[in-house]
Amino acid sequence: MGFFRNLGDIFQILRHVFRQVMSRPFTYFYPFEDREYPERTRGRHIHVREKCTACMQCVRACPNVAISIDKSDKHYEKDAALFFDYTRCIFCGMCTQACRFDALFHTKVVDISEGEREDLLYGPDKIETLDRDPLEWRGRRFR
Amino acid sequence: MSPDILDETTEIWFGPQHVSAHGWAAKLTLVGDFVVECDPNAGYFHRSAEKCLEFRNFRQGALIMERLCMLEAFLAEYPYVQAVEKIAGLEVPERAKVMRTIMMEASRIHSLQFWWGQFSAELGLFAMLLWPWVDREFFLDAFEELSGSRHAVSYSTPGGVKYDFNDKVLEKLDIAIARFEDRMPVMRDMLMGSPTFRARTEGIGQYTLKQGLKFGLSGPPIKACGLPMDLRKDAPDPNLAYDMIDWEVPVTESEEHPGESDAYDRMVQRFREMETSVEIIRKLLPLVPEGPIVDPKARGKSNRLPEGEAYGRVEGTRGISTLWLKTTEKAQTPYRAKIRGPCFNSYYSLKHLVPGAKFADFIVVFGSLDPYPGWWDR
Ligand code: SF4
Ligand code: SF4
Repeated sequence: MGFFRNLGDIFQILRHVFRQVMSRPFTYFYPFEDREYPERTRGRHIHVREKCTACMQCVRACPNVAISIDKSDKHYEKDAALFFDYTRCIFCGMCTQACRFDALFHTKVVDISEGEREDLLYGPDKIETLDRDPLEWRGRRFR
Repeated sequence: MSPDILDETTEIWFGPQHVSAHGWAAKLTLVGDFVVECDPNAGYFHRSAEKCLEFRNFRQGALIMERLCMLEAFLAEYPYVQAVEKIAGLEVPERAKVMRTIMMEASRIHSLQFWWGQFSAELGLFAMLLWPWVDREFFLDAFEELSGSRHAVSYSTPGGVKYDFNDKVLEKLDIAIARFEDRMPVMRDMLMGSPTFRARTEGIGQYTLKQGLKFGLSGPPIKACGLPMDLRKDAPDPNLAYDMIDWEVPVTESEEHPGESDAYDRMVQRFREMETSVEIIRKLLPLVPEGPIVDPKARGKSNRLPEGEAYGRVEGTRGISTLWLKTTEKAQTPYRAKIRGPCFNSYYSLKHLVPGAKFADFIVVFGSLDPYPGWWDR
């Protein structure tokens, strides 16, 4: 009995292994390829300055004091410069939910690692655009 | 063993650098290969969560709670939300109640799958580490589709939930559950029937129901002794949807040693928990009603709470987690929050369960109780 049971077990395991071998890999060859991120992904923010009214609700909602505001820095009639400290941000989404004027959003960009700590302090020039210099490492360019 | 070996004791520290000891350390006194004294130490994971809660307002507090135990984020954040709802007297819409319950049960499955892989790896069965974890990824995908984050979901908020279900979320949840139902029985039988596994777990870390209650255990470690102690059934929460459907509390009654549980029984119990969770989700999914997901007045009402105190509690994956919240009149932040996690008790019960066991069995006893450091260092 034991022999046949063991044989049955081995067949079960082999079937399982075979299915695993045949299926698509679960890992990605990051950074050369990347997965698709869902619509609601809470990645780094983008600040739409035309719509901002400097109401400070995002600053108040943030649990970690990751946003600071400079009200005197104006491009438009009533807007403000936002400074994001990504060493503190936990990507909780409280600030984007608090903004009633469609001026602050999360984006699908989640790879914001930097070599220097200071580079994670996003000033108004960095937070208003998604463009950035491509990462270079040993002569290769990543995305 | 010769008598002179028995005269000499060796003290070793298990953790905090050990790979299985992620944020905890226990001092073990050994005689030969046997542990004679076990001294669990807390404090390596301390982030002063209770103090942090005093500096966050009532909508932000749940974010701290879910970081106590990332694996059961939907469940961990709930006691805080419940306590705030009780003090503020908030009504939760029907839709939010059902959605909360579904996601809490999905979170339970995902947490148990994580534990399943981790426990198997601690026993040295590495195939069983990866297979449950692959299935777990599908639940994480569903969480990500729902909330935008895989672990720190920040889903419940006083008066409802933050993110609504849509077709994609339901589809991903369905894929995850179908895959789980397809593969779990095969992998379970493979693991539980394995002679290696049985030899490592049977009779290890055995305690009686009376002892378990004395240790203050709750959740699967108690249900594995045959006592159907479950908060979902015993004290149905009006803001959750467990009383809308019929379901049975899973218990494990061992035939060889009734009224007692060993590491093997606790494993069986956790598989039954997963099956029950799937059953609850399957029954609740067609019952999601239409309507708002959050009480429109909740935002204003949760800004400043009246004076009061309340208990929030939930049947978590590892046992009952409670939070006591006290507020003063018109304060924006709590006066005091006291967290009682389920794992403090299971961790310190090692002091009584481990002595007498072999050194190699220490991690089996620890793993079978499934403590998570976040719950005792708060
Ligand atoms: S996502 Fe959360 S932590 Fe980050 S800036 Fe917004 S509110 Fe602050
Ligand atoms: S980003 Fe939104 S919430 Fe923040 S100051 Fe501007 S308008 Fe107000």
